[in-house]
Amino acid sequence: MTAIDTGARKKPLLPTGVLAGTLRQILLPVAAALVVLVAWETAVRVLDVSPVLLPPPSMIVARLQELFFPLLLKHAIPTIWESVIAFAVSSVLGIALAGLLSSSKILREALYPNVVLFQLIPKIALAPLFIVWLGIGSQSRLAFSVFISFFPVVIATLAGLDNVDRDLLRLCRALRASEWQTFREVRLPHAIPYVFSGMKIATTFAIIGVIVGEFITSQAGLGYLILFASAQAETALILAAILVLCAFGLVFYGLVAIAETVTRNRFGA
Amino acid sequence: MDAAISAAASGPAPATDAPPYMSVQRVQKIYETAGGAVEAVSLADFSVTSGEFVAVLGPSGCGKSTLMMMIGGLETTSAGHIRVDGTEVTAPRGDFGYVFQDATLLPWKSVLDNVLFPIRLEHGRTRDHLDRARELLELVGLWDFRDKRPRQLSGGMRQRVAICRGLINDPKLLLMDEPFSALDAISRDDMNAALADLWDRYHKTAIFITHSIREAVYLADRVLVMSRRPSVISHDVRIPFPRPRRMEMQETAEFNEICGFLRRKIEEGYQRA
Ligand SMILES: Nc1ncnc2c1ncn2[C@@H]1O[C@H](COP(=O)(O)OP(=O)(O)O)[C@@H](O)[C@H]1O
Ligand SMILES: [Mg+2]
Repeated sequence: MTAIDTGARKKPLLPTGVLAGTLRQILLPVAAALVVLVAWETAVRVLDVSPVLLPPPSMIVARLQELFFPLLLKHAIPTIWESVIAFAVSSVLGIALAGLLSSSKILREALYPNVVLFQLIPKIALAPLFIVWLGIGSQSRLAFSVFISFFPVVIATLAGLDNVDRDLLRLCRALRASEWQTFREVRLPHAIPYVFSGMKIATTFAIIGVIVGEFITSQAGLGYLILFASAQAETALILAAILVLCAFGLVFYGLVAIAETVTRNRFGA
Repeated sequence: MDAAISAAASGPAPATDAPPYMSVQRVQKIYETAGGAVEAVSLADFSVTSGEFVAVLGPSGCGKSTLMMMIGGLETTSAGHIRVDGTEVTAPRGDFGYVFQDATLLPWKSVLDNVLFPIRLEHGRTRDHLDRARELLELVGLWDFRDKRPRQLSGGMRQRVAICRGLINDPKLLLMDEPFSALDAISRDDMNAALADLWDRYHKTAIFITHSIREAVYLADRVLVMSRRPSVISHDVRIPFPRPRRMEMQETAEFNEICGFLRRKIEEGYQRA
């Protein structure tokens, strides 16, 4: 008997199987979140914490209900709009730059190390520069948001374009495919899952970019609202705004995930 | 015994005035690597007539793939010349069909689209070739699988798709590098039968790389034995069986005699090394 044998015979703690597995994947995180919420609610009530410090979840939900239409939605719209535009621009730019880098050896050698280096800079620190350059309008927020969200797209797409099986590239050579055909027919379809993994990260980064921009300059948007509410010590409103932001982030991510499924079914990658 | 077969079976191709369809003239290949020069092919010198099915048989590492890549224009020669159909081979050509050891299908395309891929690259209009794709896929029994993706197929099915893809643009020369070596023995027999059928129908000139003696004898009109060190064509053996070839042929004494003869020649090559 080897150690591996005995290890394999150990009974699992929770039921296994495909259905049980899926159920667990949904139930466990939901249960964990509920436990935290209930603990939060109870702790705040029992310890009589000031709602300015930490309002209970029930109060946040009440705030959300009360102010969603009159206030939160109004501020959510510019934030959502700008995030979506920034995301779209950075996806297109990111894929195009990755395509360029993968097709030109010189460009790649010149630029890729810089892209990686830039990736490491705490880019948020550069936000005020964008205001200096582009003023306080939405263009500075958009530019900043594009700036921070396009790096993950470039890096992931480039990895996908480069990772192609050498045998497939040899096939392309044998079939006398041009560089462009090889790119369009083989590299790009192969990169699709990579592109989407970059784009999923970009959704979050695009929102962060817009919110940071709103913290600095804006007269509207959820970032502005959060800053405004904190000046008024309206903690419940801050958290309600963050809740709206989370919901938007989830939907945004979900839409990109759906787009990925559709594209993959189409190309079967 | 050996001498009798050798006299009957080997010897140069019958002399004709016309230049051969393909000639490999004193070809050598040296790879320059970080660890020094590697002589992958020392000297290859042979010619092939139009419509001939030539198997190149040798142990792994003897330079078979390198030889095929050079014939296919995918690898340069270090010395010598390769001419096919009157012109020197310098790059991949449209009158060649290629089948590699791995099926190398595009995983995101259907079986049918994979077969049509060379056409799509050539001029984009695949519709005119649908009939031919259908004919080929029906011949290898895969027409019903035309909408499947490669990952839904077995290894043998994938390799059949790759062969259909190699034949779709009606090449004059089909180059196959150990197309069945990744398959188990039973699917391999099936594949050999399928390829023999395709052959009886289309009569292409073919270079078929293999390290299986039986496969070579079953499929080929001629077997070139390649040795390892030096990497040269050590024997050129004519296979006298009529076509169409039948699986049962493999049980005849003559078939096994030729296989035995080739095996001894390959072993001699080892002993010399
Ligand atoms: N691209 C390459 N660079 C360097 N050496 C190579 C390369 N391709 C093959 N070789 C070497 O050349 C020899 C013959 O290889 P190959 O043609 O693949 O043989 P086979 O197909 O008969 O197994 C081997 O020693 C192999 O290591
Ligand atoms: Mg090989």
